[in-house]
Amino acid sequence: MSIMETQPQKILRSGWNTYVNDYAISGGWNYNGEALIICDAAGGIYVFDGKSGEVIWTQRQVHEDGILSAAIHPLTNRFATGGQDGKIIIWNTHQKNKEKVIDLGGGWIENLSWSQDGEMLAISCSKTVYVYTKEGDEIWQSNNHNSTVSNLGWSINKELATTCYGRVCFFDGMSGKVKQKLEWKGSLVSMVLSPNSDIVVCGSQDNTIHFWRRSTEQDSMMSGYPLKPSALSFDETGSYLATGGSEEVTVWSFKGNGPEGTSPLSLKLHKKPITTLAFAHRGMNLASGSRDGAVVLWDLKSENEESGLSETSVSDSVSKLYWRPDDKALAGLDRQGGVTVWHV
Amino acid sequence: MDSSSNKVPVTILTGFLGSGKTTLLNRILSEQHGKRIAVIENEFGEVGIDQALVINAEEEIFEMANGCICCTVRGDLIRVLGNLMKRRDKFDYVVVETTGLADPGPVAQTFFMDDEISSEFSLDGIITLVDTFHINQQLGRSNESTEQIAFADVIVLNKTDLVKDSELDNLEARLREMNKMAKFIRSEMANVPINSVLDKSAFNLDQALIRRPTFLEPEYPFEWTGIYSTKPGKYKIIMSEGPDPSMSLVIELDQNTDDVSLRNGAEHCVRLYAEDAEIIKPSEIIPKGKHVNLNLESLGQKEFYVEIEKDTKIGLFAQHTAEEFNMKLIEVNNNDEVPVEVERTWVAQHEHDDEVGSFSIEKDGDLDEQKLQAWISKLLREKGVDIFRMKGFLSIAGESNRFVFQGVHMIFSGKPDRPWGSLPRRNQLVFIGRNLDEKEMRKGFEDCLV
Repeated sequence: MSIMETQPQKILRSGWNTYVNDYAISGGWNYNGEALIICDAAGGIYVFDGKSGEVIWTQRQVHEDGILSAAIHPLTNRFATGGQDGKIIIWNTHQKNKEKVIDLGGGWIENLSWSQDGEMLAISCSKTVYVYTKEGDEIWQSNNHNSTVSNLGWSINKELATTCYGRVCFFDGMSGKVKQKLEWKGSLVSMVLSPNSDIVVCGSQDNTIHFWRRSTEQDSMMSGYPLKPSALSFDETGSYLATGGSEEVTVWSFKGNGPEGTSPLSLKLHKKPITTLAFAHRGMNLASGSRDGAVVLWDLKSENEESGLSETSVSDSVSKLYWRPDDKALAGLDRQGGVTVWHV
Repeated sequence: MDSSSNKVPVTILTGFLGSGKTTLLNRILSEQHGKRIAVIENEFGEVGIDQALVINAEEEIFEMANGCICCTVRGDLIRVLGNLMKRRDKFDYVVVETTGLADPGPVAQTFFMDDEISSEFSLDGIITLVDTFHINQQLGRSNESTEQIAFADVIVLNKTDLVKDSELDNLEARLREMNKMAKFIRSEMANVPINSVLDKSAFNLDQALIRRPTFLEPEYPFEWTGIYSTKPGKYKIIMSEGPDPSMSLVIELDQNTDDVSLRNGAEHCVRLYAEDAEIIKPSEIIPKGKHVNLNLESLGQKEFYVEIEKDTKIGLFAQHTAEEFNMKLIEVNNNDEVPVEVERTWVAQHEHDDEVGSFSIEKDGDLDEQKLQAWISKLLREKGVDIFRMKGFLSIAGESNRFVFQGVHMIFSGKPDRPWGSLPRRNQLVFIGRNLDEKEMRKGFEDCLV
């Protein structure tokens, strides 16, 4: 694999890289950044030492027919995986053994999400969502949504947000009571909540972005994207929203009265459509990946189009980018099973 | 990374409940074709093949806020295919089996409107199975069954054992009027050759045109075919007086009776009929494999001779039905009549009362590009909802290459194809839709000619 550094600052310095057995679809850093957990589409789990890239443990085919989703616990050494076998497994980062297996009896487990306090795990399977304790005991399950649930997320107030065709729904995380429904006739393919959880943004199948301010239920739409905006990321302050949906990274400013009536910033370095976006946990660094395997690190402090800091690439379409909790390293996953870690 | 060259082909299998989709699917999966097939099923079938990856997904139709029907896609397919494409090693072909009530439009549109899907998968063709015993009732009653006929690239007339041949001929004529692009196949238990339903490249027009130079199924210049078993020896065809003073005929040797052979024979004979006919007088010998014209001017019964060298089946592809001239095949040495083994009427009588129909425009000459663009965009804007499918090739003035196009509702995709070279420059357009104004569309097209 070739790592090329186009910028003299060398902001992204090569750390380590390796390959897993199939398309690297999901994973993340454990809460303290010591381990990087990667799941491949064939159902393999790989836990790497974050510094050296050495394999701590690995296990193949943990889900029959493959893994679809994974979620890393925010505060402890736990993570969860979901598969095409209708099962969710809760693992310990340090050990190979399963802590808990939840069997929903069939259906694809397409989304998993830990609440921000780490007390609850939300699961989506077909049109239903389930909320479990961190130990793996069921708390509640929802009625059927309009269609298969497409995204899950948690607010800072322990509310579970779900999307499906035509709707964003907020549930009380503890009771499962519906607290808010936001409707829009469209297939919502992506979702992100602002850090204060007041704004919920969705990318839609019709190549638009739709967002609501929850406090007023006022909604707005941003159109003009040539493709589905499936990659979305807010910065830590909620001032900037980075969106994909083309070969450019489009950044909307929510400062003042924006983004309504404002023009977004267009970041142009990628040659193929954006597949994933990740703001750093702190500060204005934004990482973007595209279908051709290019990875770009941007610094948005300057608020101009010349903010590309560093450009590098992986072997194929970038599936995910994960910042280490201390933001000093970035992990990139790709379609060929490549796992690359850069120091920042 | 450009993966356009190795997109995974997808075949869509439609048809009402009970038409035999699952039987055909099982047949496809059990055949030794070397393909690793993934199946997406929208209703619980009984797919019983272990090595196939079978995914059950409930149909989810996603309409867009803009209200445009061509933007309506199938969310279940986007989701399942999106996950499947992450594991390319597991399959190299996808078959989607829809429910009997599925509208094929959104299924097809998914492969054009969703960028992630269209960059990984190519729609190969839409196969519609027809329960020939029940279809006549269904067509009157439901839009879905009509649309499944209209969208099809291949129409399998299944359960033919339950229906009389003459009714099948009438049914086929009715469905052909609705969809002139589709290929027809007849079967009893969905036992059709796999290569007649997979790898059709029906939406990849330059590929399709390499195989056959037309998008239209042939208009048969003969009304009737009879197939007879013969031994070495001399035969005579006897004919009484009939409606015409002459009749065109081709005698095909080695003509098998199964549907595919019959259609292949018919296609061969369409080409032979295009050649000048040799006039044969009564008492003369009819040459085999040639277009002849039997002279029937004299009064009374007439006889023509046929010499057969081996045990074989012969097909008489006749301009008129046997009934009209009371035509019979007689073995000369014992004067026995040879019974007709299989007969097929190609141009059957039927009423044109279906809302859905198809027609083609075929014209020599060049088109004015600007006028053409204006006409097509107006047509799609105003009639796109009613146009289910269209296909064609065009000769644009000043362009050395043929232009090919296809469309589903308002989705139009076209591109320059190979150079015309020495071929005569001409245009062929086929439209399938509901209540299309053929006269107005013809005029609109003709106004675009230079």
